[in-house]
Amino acid sequence: MPDIVLDQVTRLYGKEVRAVSDLTLAIPDGSFTTLLGPSGCGKTTTLRMIAGLDMPTSGTIRIGDRFAFSLAEGVSLPPAKRGLGLVFQSYALWPHLTVAQNISFGLEVQKVPRAEARQRLEQVATALQIDGLLDRYTSELSGGQQQRVAIARVLVMKPSVLLLDEPLSNLDATLRMDMRAELKRLHQETEATIIYVTHDQLEALTMSTHIALMQAGELQQFAPPLEVYAQPANQFAADFLGNPRINLLEGRVARGVFHSAGLDLALPDAMPLPESAEVTLGLRAEEFRLHDTPGPARAPARVTTLLPTGSDWYYHVDMAGKSLIVRQNDAPHLRLGDTVHVEARPESYKIFGADGRALAGVP
Amino acid sequence: MRTAFNRFRLKMTPQRVLSVLFLVVLGYLVIVPLFLMLRETFIVHPLERFQIPGAKIGDWTWAHWQRNFLSDNAYAFFYKPLLNTLKIALGLSLLALVIGGALAWLVVRTDLPMKGFIANAAIIPYIMPSWTLALAWITLFKNQRIGGDQGIFTALTGIATPDWFAYGLFPIIITLSLHYFPFGFMLIGGALRNIDAQLEESAELLGASRPTILRRVVIPLVLPAIFSTFLLTFSRGLGTFGTPAFLGGPVREFVLSTSLYANLIGQRPGIGYLAAVVMILLGVLVLYMDHKIIGTRRSFVTISGKGARAGLVALGRWRWPLAVLVLGFIVAVIVVPLCALVIDTVMLRPGIYAWENFTLHYWIGDASLTVGLGTGEPGILRNSQLMSALRNTMVLAVVVALITGILGILVGYAIVRMRGSWVSQALDQMSFMPYLMPSIALGAIFLAMFAVPRGPIPSLHGTFWLLVIVCTVSYLPYAVKAGVSAIRQIGPELEEAAVMVGASWWTRMRRILIPVQKSTYFSGMLLPFISVTRELSLLILLVTPATQVATTITLRYTDRGWYPYTNGMVLLLVVIVVGSTILSRRLMGTSIAKGLGG
Repeated sequence: MPDIVLDQVTRLYGKEVRAVSDLTLAIPDGSFTTLLGPSGCGKTTTLRMIAGLDMPTSGTIRIGDRFAFSLAEGVSLPPAKRGLGLVFQSYALWPHLTVAQNISFGLEVQKVPRAEARQRLEQVATALQIDGLLDRYTSELSGGQQQRVAIARVLVMKPSVLLLDEPLSNLDATLRMDMRAELKRLHQETEATIIYVTHDQLEALTMSTHIALMQAGELQQFAPPLEVYAQPANQFAADFLGNPRINLLEGRVARGVFHSAGLDLALPDAMPLPESAEVTLGLRAEEFRLHDTPGPARAPARVTTLLPTGSDWYYHVDMAGKSLIVRQNDAPHLRLGDTVHVEARPESYKIFGADGRALAGVP
Repeated sequence: MRTAFNRFRLKMTPQRVLSVLFLVVLGYLVIVPLFLMLRETFIVHPLERFQIPGAKIGDWTWAHWQRNFLSDNAYAFFYKPLLNTLKIALGLSLLALVIGGALAWLVVRTDLPMKGFIANAAIIPYIMPSWTLALAWITLFKNQRIGGDQGIFTALTGIATPDWFAYGLFPIIITLSLHYFPFGFMLIGGALRNIDAQLEESAELLGASRPTILRRVVIPLVLPAIFSTFLLTFSRGLGTFGTPAFLGGPVREFVLSTSLYANLIGQRPGIGYLAAVVMILLGVLVLYMDHKIIGTRRSFVTISGKGARAGLVALGRWRWPLAVLVLGFIVAVIVVPLCALVIDTVMLRPGIYAWENFTLHYWIGDASLTVGLGTGEPGILRNSQLMSALRNTMVLAVVVALITGILGILVGYAIVRMRGSWVSQALDQMSFMPYLMPSIALGAIFLAMFAVPRGPIPSLHGTFWLLVIVCTVSYLPYAVKAGVSAIRQIGPELEEAAVMVGASWWTRMRRILIPVQKSTYFSGMLLPFISVTRELSLLILLVTPATQVATTITLRYTDRGWYPYTNGMVLLLVVIVVGSTILSRRLMGTSIAKGLGG
């Protein structure tokens, strides 16, 4: 099965709008790669170019050892010849056909013999637990069932690459959790490469083997999910992943110490930083500890909001006019207005320069 | 260079090739004729060489323009008909607005009884040929001025109708507004239906009275629909032909369309074409106003109600009197005229209401009868001329409905799927242009265009295909509009899902795009079918004895004063259009109101 390689792919709309800009990305065979980013970042355009529904303005796309798109070669393989299946965000089920007809449409178009088609239909319907729905029309199905039909319609064609465009965005929260697990299982069972588009960082973190984080048409970082989480390549990556959002403190470095309003933090020795650089320090909510007593490397703060989630407690604390979110998993004895002493774990500091790029981080 | 060529080659999908092809064909059928028509206004035609000293046929001349606008006869040629046209358009649109608006309010917002029936019946006057009521008016109210007989009204009451009441602008405005008020009913009714009840409820909570709510909330919200109705009926009024021909002819009261017709088939084609140019300019002007006024205001038409429907206004003790009034109105504009037409066709000699005068001669008589009108003319159902015209009408209507239906889907597809490209824009605008041309002017254009062979295209004059082409072009704006909205509803993903499994463009059309919106397409075809069946002004200049259709031959019989034949034919047409509308609603759940738009 093929790697998918995008080389300097750019997609312009008109002369001005750069939907995708100079994107180079090698999606490994068998991976579950998520194209992640806010809306309008070019992730869906990228997916559509891989699928062959859209054409790059420049650059090449290779699937395995052949070009799927190359202007120089004069090649643009039709979507059906690329060996891919695409599940649309809206599912795009044909309302005038039954579930069985929806699933078999592609087999019919490809002139698969009737007996084999029937067998493949039943096989995929059983696997996705929709074998009882085959004679229904799609408008009679629930959202989750429609989702399964949409996936079945693609899987029945036995694609080597499965493209999913925000497939869970139309489902309610509980169903979304179930489908996440199911998609992950699907990936393990079919061993197909999955390219998954979403703006939901939690989906990306939970399901993927690789995340390609995009913003404004440009690739920000391409790495396994926990690496993107722990070692964001830039401030955008740090900010986009993680819930609640990462705490960002602006300040200045002097003699190995980070100075911000009302807070001085000693930097670990492993962080060689230029003197008096303007930097932003990123700290995730779980990377703090709250103490009752003052101490070295602790800064006083006042509790302004308390948000229990059942398993954890989120505190908003006010530290010298700067609001921080802190997560603790032991039961609270704090009340609103109490003073606490905040300690951050130095090994988890993420430091970004004025251009937003990560300057250093401890793995 | 090579990559540029490759880019071009890779983008040449079937739909792109198709849309460029459409662009060329539409350009030839829509743009070229405009220039040809303008040219005709500068050319000396065979009959005109005697009116212009020293001119040879085909010479270039300013004479038509000079005569039409500046000569001593200009008032009679041009300004009087222009003034009449404007008076009629203005009168009819105001009247249609008032009738349609009031009816819409009663049906949508009050507890008037029998609403369903009233709503259905209110559409019927629009489905009938626009001049049905004109003929009924003549049958009811004619006086001694044309051909000795008196109308039913005079026969029953003994009161002779004055000329101004029987003919001319007054009856033209009345009958046309009774034909066009359904526009107002549908557009304003739709707008009223879409108002979110919460908007009114908030006003009510703030202490506004019913009349205040109506004045300050409801009417401003339906204002765009009111403007739409006004401009739509106004532009129809500018181009209307049948009614002024029937009701204005006897008193020589001309409008632009009838003067165009008279000049074009008479001795002054140049001036006739000039009238067509003026009519098109007026059409453009109305559209520009529509754009100016409604384009900026339309934004809040789309505030459609998700909230509950507003509570109905209780009419209280006015409930039944108003119901009787509305039903009386419907009887007066539908039942009475149709009955008058029926009565006229079963009376051997008009004006004599005696038992022995009743006859089915005009329907099934043979040629032997020598009393009554039309001596030697067989009854309608046995009249080979009339029946062949009716057959032509039916064939034409079916062929045009199919062609415009298919064209509407394909052009609509090209417009929607290539949105943002110049091809899409050009197709969109070009397919809309025939809307600006009053149909008699469009007929005049095609007369000029296809009278002689041009390049590879033979002269189509006198052929059935010329009628097919002119009807197709004329209804293209509606068909394309229907096609665009149908395709837009489908959304690209339904088609892309089929692309992903390798379905060809043709397979996608056949298996996905067409079946998904069957009933919408069918509605889209119903409108051209009905319109062709009752079309007069578009075809009147283009038919020849061999290609007569039911409407045009009807006009011939009117010219001879043989009203029972005319009225019988109109009744047949009414039966056909109303019948097919009801039938298609039963079968497909289609509604003519959908296809009308605004």
